[in-house]
Amino acid sequence: MKIVASTKLTRAQRAMTESRSYGSTSNTVFEEAETKPVESENKKTLLVVCSSDKGLCGGIHSGLTRGTRRLMDKTPGDYNLVVIGEKSKAQLSRSNPKDIVLSFAGIGKDVPTFSDAQAIADQISLLPTDYSSIKIMYNKFLNAQSYEATIVEAYSEEAIAASPNFAAFEVDEEVLANLREYALANALFWALAEGHACEQSARRNAMDNASKNAGDMITRFQILFNRTRQAVITNELVDIITGASASEG
Amino acid sequence: MAFAWKAAGITYNRYLAVAARVVRRSLKDDKRLQAERRGEMDLRFAKWEGGKQGENKSLADANQADMAAHAGQSQ
Repeated sequence: MKIVASTKLTRAQRAMTESRSYGSTSNTVFEEAETKPVESENKKTLLVVCSSDKGLCGGIHSGLTRGTRRLMDKTPGDYNLVVIGEKSKAQLSRSNPKDIVLSFAGIGKDVPTFSDAQAIADQISLLPTDYSSIKIMYNKFLNAQSYEATIVEAYSEEAIAASPNFAAFEVDEEVLANLREYALANALFWALAEGHACEQSARRNAMDNASKNAGDMITRFQILFNRTRQAVITNELVDIITGASASEG
Repeated sequence: MAFAWKAAGITYNRYLAVAARVVRRSLKDDKRLQAERRGEMDLRFAKWEGGKQGENKSLADANQADMAAHAGQSQ
């Protein structure tokens, strides 16, 4: 199991490095333009939680859920949730069922593709409510052992248009909506790929630990088995000898 | 600047996805098989209302239906 998980991890990590350069390039635009999220009253923020469908990988999904709850406790009622993946959905549907607007399933079978991210971004941008900004919550890959729940921001049209240096890019207003959708898909793709890599590394560790724990158990059972075997043999010998001495006498 | 696909209710992402699919399909066979795996998308989703999960639907079908409904609304 550990070897299977290791191979998957290498693939996931490669996909992550590729998508990271993708996402950071898209982010550069907003960094150069100095885009800031617009603080607007009575508009909600959309929080996209990127977990996955599969378990057996330690506390990686609970970490995300905990991060989400912490964020939501700070300003209650300010967030709407989009949950990607069954695991976090199960956890969040117990604590905040009222805030969930969309949930996606079927992610995490394989390395996430850009089509996945695009389809999700489409469905999110088709939501009727107007959100002040979209925050994407994912597990940031620190190294093979550790990860942490992190937020990446996808800006709204107003925020992009209001950024101080945006004029330098000479983007027409008509295509601004396209840029926003595309940036959302980029950010989602990045978050999904990085989350996937974290999950695989967490699973590898979980499988490693499972094998180790099983090793302890195997030695314990081996000793127990040997003792029982010896006891049975002794019993049978006693029976045979008693029978033999009885027939002689 | 009005785009024909925008008038048809198609989002920019969908437009890109269609373009990408065309490129993938026009590749040579060996490369095409590999590339087409990157274009696969098999997600399901559900809308939530008032704390209850709605029906589980295929994302691809729903996206198509939603875009058809949006057709003609935006120029």
